Order: sequence, then C-alpha cells, then structure tokens
Amino acid sequence: MKLSYEWLGDFVDLTDVSPKDAAEVLTRLGIEVESLTLVDLSQIVVGKILEQVKHPKSRNDLWVHQVDIGGGRVQQIIAGAPNAVVGTLVPVALPGTTVPNGRLVKDMNIAGYKASGMLCSADELLLGDDHSGILILAGGTPGEPLTTVIPSQAIMDVEVTSNRPDCMGHLGVARELAAGLDRPLKRDFMPSFTGTANPPGRELVKVIIEDPDLCSRYIGGVIKGVKVGPSPEWLQRRLRACGVRPISNIVDITNYVLLEYAQPLHAFDLTKLLGAEIRVRRARDGEKLLCLDGVERELAGGMLVIADSQRPVAIAGVIGGEDTAVAAGTVDILLEAATFSGPSVRQTARALGLRTEASARFERGLPPELALAGARRAASLIAELAGGSVHREWPDVYPEPQEPVRVRLKPWVVDEVLGTHVPLQDSEAILIRLGFHVKVLGDGEWDVLPPVFRLDVTIPEDLVEEVGRVYGYDRVPPTLPGRRHDRWTPLVPSVDRRLDAARQVMAGAGFTETWNPALVSGRKLEALRIAALAMRVSNALSDDMDTLRTSLLPSLVDAVALNRDRGRNEVRIYEIASAFLARVGEKYSQPEEPLRLAAVATAGNTPDSGRAAFYALKSVLAGCLEGLSAPACTYQRGAAELFHPGRCAAVILEGRQLGYLGELHPTVADGLKVEGRLVAFEIDVEPVLANSRTPLAQPLPRFPAIDRDLAVVVEEHVAAGLLLAAIKESAGDLLESARAFDEYHGAQVPEGQKSIAFTLTFRSPERTLTDAEVDKVMTEIKLTLEKRHQAGFRV
Amino acid sequence: MIHGPDELLNDYKSQIAVTRDEKELEQVRVALFGNSGAMTNLIKEIPGLPKEERSDRGRLLNGIKQQLEGAIAARLGELRVERLADIVETEAIDITFPGPPLGQGHLHVLTQVRRQIETVLESLGYQVELGPEVETEWYNFEALNLTAGHPARENWDSFYFTPELLLRAHTSPVQIRAMQRIKEPPIYIITPGRCYRRDAPEATRLPYFSQVEGLAIDRALTVGDMKGTLLYMIQSLYGIERKVRVRPSYFPFTEPSFEFDVTCGICNGMGCKSCRHKGWLEVGGCGMVHPQVLRNGGIDPTEWNGYAWGFGIERMAMLKHDVDDIRLFYESDLRFLEQF
Ligand SMILES: [Zn+2]
Repeated sequence: MKLSYEWLGDFVDLTDVSPKDAAEVLTRLGIEVESLTLVDLSQIVVGKILEQVKHPKSRNDLWVHQVDIGGGRVQQIIAGAPNAVVGTLVPVALPGTTVPNGRLVKDMNIAGYKASGMLCSADELLLGDDHSGILILAGGTPGEPLTTVIPSQAIMDVEVTSNRPDCMGHLGVARELAAGLDRPLKRDFMPSFTGTANPPGRELVKVIIEDPDLCSRYIGGVIKGVKVGPSPEWLQRRLRACGVRPISNIVDITNYVLLEYAQPLHAFDLTKLLGAEIRVRRARDGEKLLCLDGVERELAGGMLVIADSQRPVAIAGVIGGEDTAVAAGTVDILLEAATFSGPSVRQTARALGLRTEASARFERGLPPELALAGARRAASLIAELAGGSVHREWPDVYPEPQEPVRVRLKPWVVDEVLGTHVPLQDSEAILIRLGFHVKVLGDGEWDVLPPVFRLDVTIPEDLVEEVGRVYGYDRVPPTLPGRRHDRWTPLVPSVDRRLDAARQVMAGAGFTETWNPALVSGRKLEALRIAALAMRVSNALSDDMDTLRTSLLPSLVDAVALNRDRGRNEVRIYEIASAFLARVGEKYSQPEEPLRLAAVATAGNTPDSGRAAFYALKSVLAGCLEGLSAPACTYQRGAAELFHPGRCAAVILEGRQLGYLGELHPTVADGLKVEGRLVAFEIDVEPVLANSRTPLAQPLPRFPAIDRDLAVVVEEHVAAGLLLAAIKESAGDLLESARAFDEYHGAQVPEGQKSIAFTLTFRSPERTLTDAEVDKVMTEIKLTLEKRHQAGFRV
Repeated sequence: MIHGPDELLNDYKSQIAVTRDEKELEQVRVALFGNSGAMTNLIKEIPGLPKEERSDRGRLLNGIKQQLEGAIAARLGELRVERLADIVETEAIDITFPGPPLGQGHLHVLTQVRRQIETVLESLGYQVELGPEVETEWYNFEALNLTAGHPARENWDSFYFTPELLLRAHTSPVQIRAMQRIKEPPIYIITPGRCYRRDAPEATRLPYFSQVEGLAIDRALTVGDMKGTLLYMIQSLYGIERKVRVRPSYFPFTEPSFEFDVTCGICNGMGCKSCRHKGWLEVGGCGMVHPQVLRNGGIDPTEWNGYAWGFGIERMAMLKHDVDDIRLFYESDLRFLEQF
C-alpha cells in the first residue's frame, strides 16, 4: 500500500521528522516500509506562459513558449503538448536541473529554435503517471520554487499485516506514527459532520439487508444537488501519489476517504436506482452486472450483491455497476458506506479474479464503526468540493451493533513477558496514545477498552504487544533462558545427523547429494507404472507437479538427464528424502512417508559396463550400511517395475526387504531421455537405523592365518551366493572369511559353465594351523560343492 | 692362491675401500666371511695346527677379523650416506603439475546449512522433532489459530488432497504434535523439514522449500530470551559481529509476533545495494506462543509460556553463500552443487 508523507502530515506534526525517520519509526512499530520514494521539487520553479506558437519547421507537434520565470526573465521553452496555453502557470525545470524522474535538463536547439529549459508533466515530476500534457498549476508566483505550491513528496510503500485493517489508510497509520513519536493526533476518529437538509434521508431511500450474515451494517448517505466536475489539484495529486487515477470529484472523494480512513465507499447516481431502494442480498443464479471497468460479469449464487428493486447494481465490496455510476450529469447521489463479511468478499473477489482497493480492505474484516466515520468524512468533503445538500438522518441498517470488548490486564505481566522493566505509567501512556481507555481497578489490575477500530485486541497478550512495540523491542536486552530444571530429555542424535555416516560413504564413493522436489508429474509416474499408491494434489499449480512421488528414482534419473544436457557424461548422485505411499484402502488418510536413500549412477553403454557398475554400486550400498553400523544385508533376485529383470536384487536386512539394487530397466532410462545404462538403488533407511548397533571391539588375532584360493566350475545358472553358503556351511569353525573375487567364462571351462574363484582365509584363535589341517577342511568343502552343485575345480 | 694373514688384511682393506655400493661391499663380505670365505678358511685351519700355535694364531686372526669387520662397517656407513644424498639430489619433480581428481562427491548445501543449524541449537539444549509432510487441516491450520476464512490464511495457500488433507505449509504442526507427545514442559525442540505452499516458482520462492522452526516452552520465558536465542543462533552461524532485530508483525499463532532481521554481512548494517540500502536482511518470523496454541497442544498457558521462531533453510543458505536464485537448490545441476 502506498502512503503519502504529505498526507500523514495532515494528522500528525512531522516537523523535524524526515520521511526516512518516519519510515524507520513505522517499521519498528510493525508497519514495514518496504521502499521510500523521495520526490524533491525544490529545484523546479513556477513559470507563467506569455506566448505559445506552433514550431514552424518541426514535423512533430511542437510548441514554442515564452515563459516568465520571475525576476523579469523570460525563457524560450519548447514542449510537445499543447495544453500550456497563454496565462497558465506551469512547473519549469531550468537548464542544469535534474528533474525527479532523473533527466538532466540542458540548453538545446530544436530545428533552429533555442530551448532553454523544460515544462514538466506530472509523470516527469513523479506526481502520477499522467504524461498526456504539462501539469497546470492552480496557483503560484513565477520564479518561486514549485514547493510553494506543491510540497516535495515522499511516497512510502508499506506492508500492513492482516490483523490491522484500520491501518489500511493514512489516518490509521498516522495514529501509529503519532504514538511512536509521542506527538498528538490532530484528528478525531469520528467526524462531527452531519447533514441538515430535509427530508430525512431514510424517507428518500429504503435500505434492506436480506443477508445480515454477510453484511453487518449498511449506511446510505443522501446528498442532492451536487455538481460533478474535476477535483482540486491537491486531491488529485494525493490520489496519484497513491496510485489512484482521478476521475471526477465525487468518485475521487470516495477514493480519497478509502485511502484516508480505510473505509471503502461507493457513490450511486440516486436517480438511476430503480425504486429508490437498496437490497443487500445474495446474487441469483444467472444474474449479470456490467461493472465499472466495462466488463460484464456473470454472478454466482453465493455472491453478495447490492441491488435496487430490480437488479444488482454493485458486487458488494468488490466493484460497482456501470449503469448506476456517477457520471457527468449526476445531481443526486447515494453514498454507500457498509461493512461486508471478509471471507465473503475474499471468495467473491477470488472467484471473479478481481482484487480491488475495496476488496483488499473488506477481506481483513473492517469494524462497522468505521462505516459511519467514512461516510461522514466523505459527505463533508462532497459538500465542500462538489456542493449539494447533505440530508439528515440517513438510512443506517445496523442490526447488531458492535459490542465493546474489554480486556483485563495485570499490568506487571508486561515486564514478565518482555523480560525488561517498563514503568507502569509508560505502559498506560502508550495505550492511551493508541486510543485505548485504561481504568485502574482496586487490585491494581487494569480494565482496558480498545478503540472501536481495533477489533484485533481481545486478550492481555495483545495489550502487551501494543505496549512492547511502542516502547521499542530494541530496548529489550537479549538474554538466554536458563533455569534449574528437575526434568530433561537426554540428547538423541537426529535422524538426519545419524544419516551423515551414509553421506560420508556416498561422498567418498564420488556421489553428490541432491534435493529434488517431492511434487512430480503424475502422468510420468503412471508411465513408469509406479502410480498405484500415488497421492494426487487436487489444486496443483501445473501437471508437472501434481503428484507426490512414490519413489526417489525418477527425480534422480531426471537429474542425470539434466546434467547430461549440460555436458556432464558421468553422473553419480543420490538423495535422502521421503517417498509417499497412500495406505491401501484408506485413500483419505495420511500416507506412509518412508524415509529413503536412493542413488543413481551412469553405467556406460555395454552389458559388461552395466554389470561392472552394478557390482561397484553394490559395494557402495554395503559401505553405507557399514557406515551406519548396521549388519550386512543379503540379496535375492528381485523384480521391480523400474529395474532390469535380469539385473535386479532385492536388498534384505535381518529378514526385512529394504528396497532394490540393480540396473534400471532400459525403458526407464529411455522414457526419461537418458542414453546409456544406469544403475541405482533405493532403500528404506528407518529399518537400517533401527538395526544400527554400536560396534564392539573384537580381540586381534594372535595366530597367523592361512589363505587358499579355490576356483569352482559350475553350470552358468548357479549363483555365487549359493556356493558361498555351501562353503561356509561345510568349512566349520576354522574358516575365518570367504569371498568370491573373479568370474570366468571362456576356453578354460566347458561351454555352458563358468568358473568362480574364491579366496578363503583359515585361522584358529588357539594355535597356528598346519597345512594338513587346512587341506582336510578344503577336501570337505570340495566334496560338499561336488555333491550339491556338481562342481568341478580348476587348479 | 694362499694368502698369509697380513696380505689378506691389506688386500681386502683396499678392496673394501673401492667398493661402489652396498651390493659390492656385501660381495666382499661374503668373500671374507662366507662359508668358504678367505677369513673363514683361515679360521677353519686353526684346529689342524700344533697345539701350542693355536692360541697365538687364534688371537692374530681374531684381530684381523675385527679390523676387517670394522672396515666393512665404516664403508657401509659411507655408502649409505652417499646413497641417501644421491636420492635427494637427483629426484626433483615438477611440483606445479596437478594431482589427479579425487572424485569425492559433495553434500548438498542445504544439508550442510541444516546440519549447522541443528548443531548450534542442540548446543542450547534443543532436540530435533520430525513430523509428517502430508498433514491434516487441524494440525496445519486450526491448531495454530488459522481458522477457515482467517484473512492471514492467504499467506499459507496450500496444496490439498482432500478438504481435510494437505501438504503442510510450515513445520508448525510438528510443534503441536511435540507438545501432545511430550506433555510436560520444559520443551525445547527444533523442527526441520520440507514444506509446501501454492506459490508459482520464481527466483525468490518456490512451491516447495525447507524450514527450521524452534519452540521453547518453560516457565516465565520472555521476549528477551527469544531475542537472545536468535542472536546466539545467528552469531554462531554467521559470526559474532552480526546483530539481530525483531520487528513487530502478525501471526495468528504467536502474540506478540515479530519478523526478525539480521544485519547485512556485506555492509555490516550500513546499507548497500545487496540489502536494498536497509542494512538489514529479513530472515524469518518469531513470537511468544499464543495461549490458545498452547491449549491446543495440551499445555496449560497459566503455568507455562513459550516462544517460537521459524525461517527457511534456503534463505539462510542464500545469505550465507550469496546464492541469488532459490531454484538452484532443487535443480540438481552438479555445476552448482559441486561448489559447496
Ligand atoms: Zn548491505
């Protein structure tokens, strides 16, 4: 919201308070000034047009002016607009001055004519966006600084929090500023102005609220005999400064009061309201309204409208209708000042895609007392600037008048909450400055009555906040809490910190961590056939983020594709995040959110490179589990949608399946636009952490080991894991470890068979083993392998 | 050729002196003292001598043996010194040539920042609490005083699955769940995690982001305690010269409510282009927990009070590492991720 410093000065004395100081005070009070635009007009002078002739040579429409700039000096100035006719007063920027919009004015020669200076438009002076002509001044003396007519401007762009609708106008903000500066506020909230003309307004117009749940008050001010015309310069200037385009005095005044009191108003042409009647009701299906912006809108059933006896004439709190609007010939008006329900206005504005200055204020829930204040202020301005007679006793339908909410405050609570000492009289003075009434009760407690425009203050904590922000939170010294506790929770390492052990392994293996969005394309999950348990967002922003991912792998494959596009061939990445799985049969309950560790690596283009990468990744996975101090996992041939059926392992820990390791299915990589092979794993990490054990030291071996290699020749289909199991079973206690280290196919073994080489380590904890002892065990192992797997042996 | 002991001594002494390396010296040693070495052979002859000559002969040979062993040891010392000197004199390399790439992967910068935040707050006694990302309307909004139709709801525009189920818009629901679980204060927790809001992606915000919220519930906590906690956290993360200010603001779940700002690290609070000449950078929101929120969490507000704060991990990372586009964190471009 834009605020004019000049306007604030109407309500609070800003002597010695620069716009920057005011902005600082407001920010510290909770009205954040996001930017401050300073418009220095002191270098611009007032000029009077003595002569205006068309430039005879230029092909553009240029006018050559002789301008009196005071002190007997006359400048020749050329301008592109015709409106600076003889006799008008205009702002002049002489050569050497910089105009507020940043332009430096120099002596120029335009097609043979000298131009010494510039006549300024409102736009160039940053007084609005009107650049159609030269700004014509209402008064002033040639040669005097422009600031004798128009003060230098400072426009603040502020952010008002949603609990402070009263600060959506200059008066409310000025009240805060006055409290912050400890200066008096020069204006009472409720203007004393009332109409006097007869007959009473309520005999001229009938107002009926049919839906009081959506409209708590409706005032219809009756003013007859106005003269519609342009507003005075000062009023137009202030509207422009706040980004509002001047239209005519009546409309401008309603906008002016909106910007001043935060109360939206609307003026109807009274003679155009059929039946001299206002009905506040919900729209009927199919009703339409041609709005002030020239758009005809279809109204939905729930929307609140203002209607006359026949038809809607305005959408309540959002926009007025064209047919009943104030126009050039309007003489009698009905001034609407109403209080509409915030949620209702918000819904309507949203449904219509139309957010107006009015709706932005109603949405926050305006106090009904504000309606009367705004109506009186507008009526007095209309009487002053547009003439007309204001009728007495307006219709004012206010079925349930706002009840005052008193708040009981133990004033010492202020110190307890803030953590610093605020003298009681300071607290009281602050509340009074903000418009609160404070009554000190016998027990020392305070009975506090907030001002009628402060519906947000209902509990003692709200009062503490009022005191605190005016007293100044900068004056509250920072402390650290420290108490003598008799109860505590010992520190438990967080899941994320425990997983750092896995991150360390991944980093060592060359994998970089990624964070990918959990919202992905549902269509993509369907194409990958992993959408069965997917949760779909009902109000997605776009269809590439409409579904919660059921697996981290598609995001990682996408990331590989992105890095490939950007020139990286080898990619190794991983992610730790939750997947989301709807609970079967319970579509409307919270899903399971298993925390996953998933990794993807590029794996060359050949079957062999894919196989090698599979085993390399298997080691990385094993390393992660070891890093997390979990027992080693086992692998079984697995089948999962995303994986190559011949190259997929189910990862099993203590009998529970954690996930899968394998080469990705060729259609997955292809579908996600990645060339070549990819290997990947994705596991649930919670069961791993649950099985994590503090490692206990084992005694170091005291006797030497004996190593033996064994090359086992078996049928192709026999898995190394089976052979290893047979070896371990038959070897007895002396076998310390056994590991397969090579697989061989080729000339040395028969067709259809393979050779797997194992290295076996034997050791006794009690003595040095002899070769003879180990030979005996080796014979036993070979017998078992022959019997179970028809194995042969290579030497 | 048969040498007499003296000849043998002189002959071998000169041989020892001219050896060029340890290998040649070893050959000489074997020629003298090996199984059939010259010295060995002379000693073997002693038992065949007449009995009265044996001891003189023995003494003589022993003396010669000691002299030769001494000469060998001395020469060995010289040769070793020469060899080591030779190593250092002749093996200089081009130390400007680069080492091979380490191939180490990187931790995501958000993980690093989250880790720092957790570490700093754990040092103040806060514990990490986690909760579901798909939340109910009650935990995400109602319990936090953000009732339906509340004007502030606009800032928490959310993704819904059903009217009751949505992606959490902040990690505050975890605070409510923690109060309900722990029941008895003191409660000092932080709630890191992913959140979602229905905002179109742009350089400063995304529909998905990560937060850390903190919550302290105890007896007689103050705004000063909240300020001190924030200051301790910010100084620990960014350096002791940083300052924190709290500015009044509004959240339905705290009263009083604040935004908290940190002095700009580039200009030290003097104002510069990077902080839009304010000297301060907005970091997050904070406030004293609203009594109704405590009640909703099952805590008696007449006995306990508390403060809470929250901020985006991305925002902290952007301030710390001068990142100007939040989208970079979630794009998984290795050229970005490998910078940290
Ligand atoms: Zn700065």
